[in-house]
Amino acid sequence: MNSYQKETFLFKTVRILFIWISILTVLIPFIWVILSSFKSPSDLSDATNVFFTPILKNWINVFNSGIPINFINSFIVAFITILISLIVGLPAAYSISKFKTGGNFTKLGILIAEVVPSATLVVPIFLASYYLEINGSILPVIFAHLTFIIPIITWFLIGFFDAVPNSLEEQALIDGCTRFGALIKIIIPQVLPGVGAASIFGFVLSWNDMFYALILGGENTQTLPMAIAGFNTFRGVQLGEMSVAILVSAIPTIILSFFIQKRLIKMMGGGAIKE
Amino acid sequence: MSKSSSPRLTNDSVSIYKWKLLFPLILILFVILVFPLGYSLWLAFHDFSIIDPDSNRFVGIAQFQKVLTNPMYWTVMKNTFLFVLIAVSVEVILGVLIALALSKQRILKNFTRAIILAPMFVTPIAVGLMFRFILNNQLGFIPAFLAKFNISIDFFGSNYTLLTLALIDVWQWTPFIILMILAGLESLPQDPFEAAYVEGANKLTVFLKITLPLLKPVLLVAILIRSLDALKVFEYVYAITKGGPGTSTETLQFYIHKLGFGYYRLSEAAAVSWTVVVIIMIGLIIMLKSSKKESS
Repeated sequence: MNSYQKETFLFKTVRILFIWISILTVLIPFIWVILSSFKSPSDLSDATNVFFTPILKNWINVFNSGIPINFINSFIVAFITILISLIVGLPAAYSISKFKTGGNFTKLGILIAEVVPSATLVVPIFLASYYLEINGSILPVIFAHLTFIIPIITWFLIGFFDAVPNSLEEQALIDGCTRFGALIKIIIPQVLPGVGAASIFGFVLSWNDMFYALILGGENTQTLPMAIAGFNTFRGVQLGEMSVAILVSAIPTIILSFFIQKRLIKMMGGGAIKE
Repeated sequence: MSKSSSPRLTNDSVSIYKWKLLFPLILILFVILVFPLGYSLWLAFHDFSIIDPDSNRFVGIAQFQKVLTNPMYWTVMKNTFLFVLIAVSVEVILGVLIALALSKQRILKNFTRAIILAPMFVTPIAVGLMFRFILNNQLGFIPAFLAKFNISIDFFGSNYTLLTLALIDVWQWTPFIILMILAGLESLPQDPFEAAYVEGANKLTVFLKITLPLLKPVLLVAILIRSLDALKVFEYVYAITKGGPGTSTETLQFYIHKLGFGYYRLSEAAAVSWTVVVIIMIGLIIMLKSSKKESS
């Protein structure tokens, strides 16, 4: 720490207090939901009660319901979306980073693709899947998720490729690698950690979407956000089960976010801000 | 920025190769974006009925006239913009302050950041339902807690509902501003700060005269991204209010959803959504222009 960054005692106290308030504001709602998930219906009516006999009934009920299937649906949709995004995004991002293919026009295109509102896209995707008789399957949901995940993943990947030194590729070419071989064997491994972080970010975006899943998904292909919303109709009686469902959807993404947190700050710094 | 390419790399095969690599992306963006956008525009200029799809006829701007003369559209616009304005301004102020506080932290740095950033990774419908019950008068702990001090606020009464939804948005999305500002702070040059210290400037002056101007580009991008996202608020409305009480929380995304998939007036829904496209494009152009001015 440089000397000019030294803080006064008062300043430091206020700052730490502020951080603690922020942490508590984030944590208390989660803690309340965790407690609620172990409460019996009679305990649930006493909101501020933290001393109660925990029960597992809510968790057992939820795991015997359709939730595990919804969990798998969400996973499949997010996984396929990311896979397709990487297949088209990786070579394109490399091409844009290395050769400036299409110049600013390409970058502007990706930026515009990213801001197209979901409300505009959902009507035509709904109708097209209706005519193609794939409505209610996971296909239109994956299709819709690609519309916002491909641009953002490609954008992040451009930033990662920018950071790879040119000399690496040149050396591989001199050593007799084909250009595509150099990309696969030399360049891609260099950006792999970034690819991982960007994929996790895209995965979370797909996992969390409800708007498209609500309109384009069907009875048998409900993803987790839809299933959680399903507990809404029963109101207070199902509060315990709903708390479990909220946790089942939130815990995986929060855990994933821990892994990418540091890199995400770099990603925002490298990709989003500089342009 | 630009990389110098060696002589080996600049030949004819490269000019084909680079387009080959880009082609799959162009193709898929065409299928998933250009086609739906065209189709949606077609719908907005026709009178389309899903029950009798062949009877559609070209109606010109009649759908847009219908939309823009409907007082409901303007109520929805007012609600949405009020929501965005309240949510994003609170998020920016809190986000900058929290990011500054976090940037000085040394102990348990990653752990603290992980917790504070967590809300933005939770699915919004879960956040909506969580707060629906936390703030519920019979079941929630916040009203129960406030009652101990004889304070009674009806968070979902007609006066406060939109504000409550905006504050839920603040809980979930302030972390995004924090993330952007932290990224911005980490890439700041150190020289101006040292110079200011040498000159004996105080903290507030340094913040207002150096930190804030240097953060301005990041802040603009963060505000733009967050505003575009807040414009699409849907899950909180769907989970908590369904547009009520009255029409006080009818927002754009919810309204379009209702028109299109509640009443199946798909052409009208498409027309409303295109007014959103126009607003977004205007916002984007203003942003790009101001960032160009900045760099020149």
